[in-house]
Amino acid sequence: MATRPAAAPPVERPLGHRLRQRLPGIAGGLLVAFVMVVLFGPVLMLALFSFNDSSIISLPWEGFTTKWYEEAWSNGQARDAVVNSLLVATVVMVLSVVLGTLAAWGLTRLRFRGRGFIAGLNGAVLVVPWLIIGVAGLIFFSQTGVPLSLKTIALMHLVVTFPLVVAIVSAGLVRFQRSLEEAAIDLGATQRQMLRYVVLPQVGPSIAAASIFAFAWSFNNFEISFFNGGFEQTFPVWVFSILRQSENLPIVNAVSTVIAAAQILAVFGAWFLMKRLTRRGGDGDETLTGLLTGGTR
Amino acid sequence: MESASIPVPARRHPRARRWLQPLAFLGTPTALLLVLFLGPMLVMLGVALDRGLLDGGPGFNLTLTNFTDVITDPLYREVALTTFEIATAAMLVQLFVAVPLAYVIAFKAGRWQLPILLFLVLADELNPMVRIYAWRMLLGREGLINEGLMRVGIIDQPIDALLFSQFAVTVVLATSYITYTVIPIYGAMKAIDSNVFEAARDLGAGWWTTARRVLLPLIAPGIFVALLLVYIPLFTDFASPALVGGTSGYMLGNVVNDLVLESGDLNRGAAMSIIMLVLSALFALVAYRLARINRLES
Repeated sequence: MATRPAAAPPVERPLGHRLRQRLPGIAGGLLVAFVMVVLFGPVLMLALFSFNDSSIISLPWEGFTTKWYEEAWSNGQARDAVVNSLLVATVVMVLSVVLGTLAAWGLTRLRFRGRGFIAGLNGAVLVVPWLIIGVAGLIFFSQTGVPLSLKTIALMHLVVTFPLVVAIVSAGLVRFQRSLEEAAIDLGATQRQMLRYVVLPQVGPSIAAASIFAFAWSFNNFEISFFNGGFEQTFPVWVFSILRQSENLPIVNAVSTVIAAAQILAVFGAWFLMKRLTRRGGDGDETLTGLLTGGTR
Repeated sequence: MESASIPVPARRHPRARRWLQPLAFLGTPTALLLVLFLGPMLVMLGVALDRGLLDGGPGFNLTLTNFTDVITDPLYREVALTTFEIATAAMLVQLFVAVPLAYVIAFKAGRWQLPILLFLVLADELNPMVRIYAWRMLLGREGLINEGLMRVGIIDQPIDALLFSQFAVTVVLATSYITYTVIPIYGAMKAIDSNVFEAARDLGAGWWTTARRVLLPLIAPGIFVALLLVYIPLFTDFASPALVGGTSGYMLGNVVNDLVLESGDLNRGAAMSIIMLVLSALFALVAYRLARINRLES
């Protein structure tokens, strides 16, 4: 029997070996960097060129200016579109958080006939493409004689947005142990006290996350606003109509930069706030990652 | 045996309240869904089955011609094929990026895990129209990429195929939905006990075998959820092809838009929408089933 020669334990690892051990980490870092550049690079360039002193969005760099922001500010159409979007998104956010939280409570805590049907209806809304909901809304309103306006946009936004709130808040309610609610009732709390002091602190982060997503869904929605707005435009519809008619315009860069900056602030501000809120409860990051992945499971 | 009938009168009142509570919580939301979700769908189905004012006159005239017209039109069949190609290409690109990316986030990122996830959420929250516009700016004939390359001297002529092509639509779509591809797969990976990787290595499996035989079956439910969330919107997207697709990137969503708004043919537009709705529903059902089955096995 031939014995294999035992390999001597390496005293100092050669550079190649060390490199090979580090390679997965480097490759992972490169992958993350690549994805981030592809996702955010274009938007950064867009922001950069909103300050270029040239009416053509291209090289060469002609110098720094803020005149596109001034022009955008005095452009009535641009301002109306942004204001319309903010208005619709705020109304949709408030209503869908109220309706969605009510429905989530009803679906997770009550047992009754037809529960499966209602849950299925909520789920179906999330799967049907917005284009089809938009077209269906347009046909529906035209057949029933309802004039298209911001109101019809908001109604259709509400219909697709509150089921999202239902999904996020239900996930929070399911994770949370019902025995705590029963304990509160057993200890003499009224239904209202139990909701206020036991349930709300637990599902608070879910509701907060749901309201942020609800606002963003309405604010960013293009398809439904496009088909159900008639002559009233939201911000995405305004950008779309400009791009359909003409070449790229620097004022679109300016408005888009403001919108993107506000959205970045909103997402990171919300993260910061929720981190403080959930830290108090103990498991900060776990709750947050749970929230992010919870809706998709 | 006769004693069973005693508590009946006493029960009446609680039973009446039993459906009152669900009504209080779910009445308004459900009414909203019935009127503004199911209602429009049914009206659209009705319009799709109607001959229309021009062909059939006023009133409802039942017909299937809208459906047969749309299905047999060779132009639409070609568009359907293009749509399938673009949506599938965008989906594959996303999966090829998302699986390793989710792996890095879940197992290698350490304290960077949450910030990376947050940036992905941010990428999704950014206004889609802003994103499309930004790509249009980069990819155009006088766009930054062409101008930059020409200035450096790598090319003499602008590359026309960058914008208004299937390539442009694929790039824009892949970057638009990547968040919804990564997060379900990441969720599935988080549920994995990382000891299985060590076990696989101890048993002599290389990284490729581990990825294929251990990791992939475990994240299959996440992949099916990603397909459910992303593939259907990819199929029906119409803003991206309308703005960066030109004539070669014309997709089914544009057909619906042109039928309904450009030619005002509500009946055929409705028929096309119903067909797309049925296809998405079938696809959603299959993906959902697969996600469920795979979860039970794992």
